[in-house]
Amino acid sequence: MANHNTPVIQTESLSKVYKAGKRTIQALSNLTLSVHRGEIFGYLGPNGAGKTTTIRLMLDLIRPTNGSATLLGMDAQKDSVELHRRIGFLPAELSLWKNLTGRQVIDYVARLRGGVDWQYVNELTERLQFDPTLRVRSYSSGNRRKLGLLLALMNKPELLILDEPTNGLDPLMQQIFNDMMREVRAEGRTVFLSSHILSEVQSICDRVGILGSGKLQAVETVATLRHADFRWVTLRLHEVANTQLLAGVPGVADLTADSSTLKLRLRGDFNPLLHALKDQYVVDIKTEEASLEEIFLSYYGNGSNANKTAEPLKERV
Amino acid sequence: MAGVTFVHTLRRNWRQILYWGIGIGLLGMYVAIIVQDADILKQYAELAKNVPPALLQMFGMNDTAALATPEGFISFGFFGYTLLILAVYAVIAGMSVTANEEDDGILDVVLALPIPRWRVVVERFFAYALIATAIVAVAFGGLWLGILSSALDINVSRMVEGSINMMPSFLLMIAFTMFVGVVARRKAMALAAAAIFIVGSYFINFLGSAASGSLADTLQAVSFFSYYNSEDVLLHGLNAGNVGLLLTVTAALVVGTVWSFNRRDVGL
Repeated sequence: MANHNTPVIQTESLSKVYKAGKRTIQALSNLTLSVHRGEIFGYLGPNGAGKTTTIRLMLDLIRPTNGSATLLGMDAQKDSVELHRRIGFLPAELSLWKNLTGRQVIDYVARLRGGVDWQYVNELTERLQFDPTLRVRSYSSGNRRKLGLLLALMNKPELLILDEPTNGLDPLMQQIFNDMMREVRAEGRTVFLSSHILSEVQSICDRVGILGSGKLQAVETVATLRHADFRWVTLRLHEVANTQLLAGVPGVADLTADSSTLKLRLRGDFNPLLHALKDQYVVDIKTEEASLEEIFLSYYGNGSNANKTAEPLKERV
Repeated sequence: MAGVTFVHTLRRNWRQILYWGIGIGLLGMYVAIIVQDADILKQYAELAKNVPPALLQMFGMNDTAALATPEGFISFGFFGYTLLILAVYAVIAGMSVTANEEDDGILDVVLALPIPRWRVVVERFFAYALIATAIVAVAFGGLWLGILSSALDINVSRMVEGSINMMPSFLLMIAFTMFVGVVARRKAMALAAAAIFIVGSYFINFLGSAASGSLADTLQAVSFFSYYNSEDVLLHGLNAGNVGLLLTVTAALVVGTVWSFNRRDVGL
C-alpha cells in the first residue's frame, strides 16, 4: 500500500523496443516520471510519440525492454492483478463485444471486479446520458466512449488511466467529463490522461508531461505552458494590408502581409489586436491553434530553458 | 473473480450448442434412419468392394465387410464425417479464446481488469470444452432418435462410445488452435496453422492407411486422426490408450498456451 508521499505512478528508465522482422523501433526511451496523489497529469504528445506504449507498459499489457514502473506502490508487472483492482482504464480505441448490450458489458466487468456500487453506476449512467439497453454494435463512437468511461469509473478507482478520453465526445459531454475529472481530483484520487490536444489538457490538468519520439521532453505545470501558448491569426481586411498597422501591438509577433491579408502570431488576449484594428474594416478573422511543436519550441527556444530542449515534436496538434 | 469468465463465455456461446448440435444430430438421425434393412447393408458392403479402397479410407473405412453391420455403416456415414465438421467449430472456438479478441483490441479491456492471464485462457478453454461436449451430446441425441426409429438392432452403447471417442480429438483441435492463436500472434497465421494441422493430420492418416509400408504409414503416428479411429471404436469399443494420449497432448497444449500467453506482449 502506498503512503501519502509515495508517487502514485513512478517509472524508472522505462523503455520499450518493438521488433518488426529485422527492424527495431524504439517506442519509449528511458522514461523517468512521477505522478503524485490527487493530481490530474496530462501526458501530451503527437500520434506515435509513445503515449499508448507507456500506458500499456503501466497496465502490464506489454513488457518493458528496460526499466520498471511502480503504480500505487506496487510493481506494474508482478502485482498486476491487485493493481488492476484499484485502477480504471480507458483505451484510446475501445473495442467491446458487439453482440452484448451495454448493461451486459457493465455487468460482466462488475463481476470481474468482484462487485460494484450499482447506485453509483446508475448515477454515472444518468450523468453521461448513456442508454445501456442497446447492443454495443449500435452505439455511436461517442456512446461507446461513454460506456468506456463508465467502465473505467465504475469502481471508483484510486488511479484512472485514460488514453485520449474525449475522442468522439461532443463539447457538452467533454464539459461533463472535465467536471467528473475535477471531482475525482477533489476526492484525492489521481488521473493520468493522455492526449494530443493541448487545449484539452490545459483545461483540466495540473501538470503536463510532453512526450516526443519516445522521449520525455519536459514536465511542466499547465500555468507554465499556458504562458508559452499562442495561436495563429489570419485577418482579411477590406483595404490592402500593411504590417505597420500592427507593429508594437502587445502579444503580436511574426507579422506578414499579403495583399489584404495579415498573418500573425498572437499571445494573450485579442483586445489589443482588435483595438489596433478599430479604424479598419475587417472582412474575416481566422484563428488556428498552435501546434504542440510550435509551443514547445516557443517555450524552450529561449535561453533560460535551452538546456531542456530535446528533439522537436513532429506532428501538428 | 473465479468462474466469471467461464460463465461469460458460456452465456455468449450457448446458442452454438443448438446450431451445431442440432445440425450434426440431424445428419446422425438421417444416417440411422436409412439403416432399415440388414440385406440392404450387405448389398451396400458388396457395392463398396468395387470402390477404390483409398476412397473409403478417406472417410475412415478400412474394412468393407464392416459396412454390412449397422455399427460399421454408421461409423462410415456419421462418425467419419462428423469429426471433420466439428473441426470447423474447433477452429472457431480455439480462435475465440484469445486470438479474435486480441485482434479486435477487446483483450486490452479484459486484461486491464483484475484477472490473471492464465485464468482467461483456462476458463475460456473449459467453457468451450463444455460447449463442445454439449454439441456432441445433442448430436448424439439426433443419432439416438434415428436409432429408435430403425428396424435394426443397433448397439446403442457402442454409439455412446463412438460419441465419447470424438471428444478427445475435438478438444485437441480446440487446444491446438488456441495454442497457435497465442504463439502466432497474427490471426491469419494462426488460422492457417490450425487448418494445416487438421487437414494435414487427416491426409497423413488417410495416406498412411492407403499406402502401408510407406513414409506416410510411418508418419501416421503423428496424426491425431489415427488415434480417433471411429470404425474400430464402434466395432470393438473405446481405446483407453488413444483417449489418454489425445487428452494428454490436449493438456500439454493448454499448459503451453498459458505459459506462452503469460510471457508475451498483448495486442501487438
